[in-house]
Amino acid sequence: MKKNSAILFAFVSPAAILFLLVFLYPILRTLCMSFFKIDGVTDAFSKWQFVGLENYQKLLSTTLFRISMGNLFRIWAFGGILVLSLSLLFAVIITSGIRGKSFFRAMIYLPNIVSAVALATMWLQYVYSPKFGLLKSFFTMIHLDKLARIQWLSNDHKFMALLIAYCFGMVGYHMLIFASGIERISGDYFEAATLDGANRLQQFRHITLPLLKGMFHTNITMWSVSSVGFFVWSQLFSTVTADTQTITPMVYMYMQIFGAGNSVTERNAGIGAAVGVCLSLCVVLIFQLCNRLFKDKDLEF
Amino acid sequence: MSFFSKEKTYRDPIRWQKELRLAPAYLLLLIWIFFTVVLLGWVVLASFSTTKEIFANNLLSSGFHWENYEKAWVNSDVSTIFFNSLFYSLSSVFLLVLVCAPAAYALSRFSFRGNQLMQNAFVASMGVPVVMIVLPLFAMVAGLDILNHVIPNKLTLIFLYVGINVPYTTIFLMGFFANISRAFEEAAAIDGCPPGKCFWQIMLPMAQPGIITVSIFNFINVWNEYFISLIFGNSDQVRSVAVGLYSMINSMKYTGDWAGMFASVIIVFLPTFVLYLFLSERIIAGVTGGGVKG
Repeated sequence: MKKNSAILFAFVSPAAILFLLVFLYPILRTLCMSFFKIDGVTDAFSKWQFVGLENYQKLLSTTLFRISMGNLFRIWAFGGILVLSLSLLFAVIITSGIRGKSFFRAMIYLPNIVSAVALATMWLQYVYSPKFGLLKSFFTMIHLDKLARIQWLSNDHKFMALLIAYCFGMVGYHMLIFASGIERISGDYFEAATLDGANRLQQFRHITLPLLKGMFHTNITMWSVSSVGFFVWSQLFSTVTADTQTITPMVYMYMQIFGAGNSVTERNAGIGAAVGVCLSLCVVLIFQLCNRLFKDKDLEF
Repeated sequence: MSFFSKEKTYRDPIRWQKELRLAPAYLLLLIWIFFTVVLLGWVVLASFSTTKEIFANNLLSSGFHWENYEKAWVNSDVSTIFFNSLFYSLSSVFLLVLVCAPAAYALSRFSFRGNQLMQNAFVASMGVPVVMIVLPLFAMVAGLDILNHVIPNKLTLIFLYVGINVPYTTIFLMGFFANISRAFEEAAAIDGCPPGKCFWQIMLPMAQPGIITVSIFNFINVWNEYFISLIFGNSDQVRSVAVGLYSMINSMKYTGDWAGMFASVIIVFLPTFVLYLFLSERIIAGVTGGGVKG
């Protein structure tokens, strides 16, 4: 058995070492950094200055950071409702016995495999373009000139434009998860319900929805994880640095540490680390909430 | 397996009453897909037109302009970022299989101290925001003076892409190894095949469907990755497609070369799209299959 454990070690250690280097050590160090004042990211530990919770206090009293958290919350909440309801709707349609199911499914998932930069550029430079944009041409065609004149990328509409474009690309993934959940529900339930005289809507409300609990759990978790990392879309949609309409915590942190820009008053890597800790706490909080909300395991099927 | 294949060869006869009841459903899907097609189709057509035509909204009125692609590929150096990303993606995909397949096999097959802990840690790390790990990594990389040298910089990027995707790839592959019968290893052991050799020659080929699926995902992920590439590879010779495209778009907006910009977008879009065209069924099955719980 000695030989076997050597082989076992050889099999597991590369993955374990990479994990330690890329996840465990950086996570612990970031946590540590958030309690120190650090002038440069690359500074050695000896130059760090312990400040306790001061970084967090500073962060929470910074208007720009609070705006960025507000934006992130709006993206998470409104975008979440939009994406999850659309993807649930499409999942129900896809699994309702329509023809060309795999074609439709593949088409709806398609935006998920496209580079976010490419997809965002298509939206920005084509759909929302004030000169030759899709929305402008469409509304002009059906003579809604008022709508055609809307500047989608002006400050008033930018956030909505960003949210819609982002959500469009996310629907496919969540739809697949819902659809796999619906397909797992035994047809017997629906048959029995039909015999008892339940209509389509009642069946959905009393069979599909309760049995999709686990899928809601997965979807909300995945949606939260991807929202927290909201960065590319925000960077592409902002026209100035520190654009209050589109800034998210990750963009704020990037500006603080890596980006130039006049909005940075003081260079302190500790604050950047504190942003990371705050976002991680949000994820943990949502995980806990979800586990509590969807915890009952009595719905085995 | 491909985009166009039918789910099953047997087809139900068309029952018009049923289809008619589903009409609103079809309509909704068609509207959504029509929009997707218009979005992509217009950009493709625009990439073959001149900037003047794009602004006048009469695409292709002077025929196909292949030179947009030529200009983007040669003058704007799309070729550099394209081959950079191809190199990053392919190397990462290969290394990830090399690192994660043995680990996934060991984790799913053998009980040893720390097995469950490692699995839990891997699953948990998939929820860790990248901001939580980027600063120490940057300190490490910058401390080694890597960012000023092209080759070490490229290798560092690959190291990071591999490291970040290790948990996902391992957990995904575990599901595939768990489903392979133990009878194969037992037979191999009786025939005197050492466990190491048994893995590479028997188990790995048997997990091939999983390895192919996870490799496609890793390829797409690395190809489209933005944040890590932005922070660790933002110099001319190192840029990946996502970061390169972003800086290109910014400069093309000022030079007013919209046609060239759309051509660059299509070049970046093409590789993952072609993959998807042929492997969509496999990709879709993979989303809900292993790895991602659900």
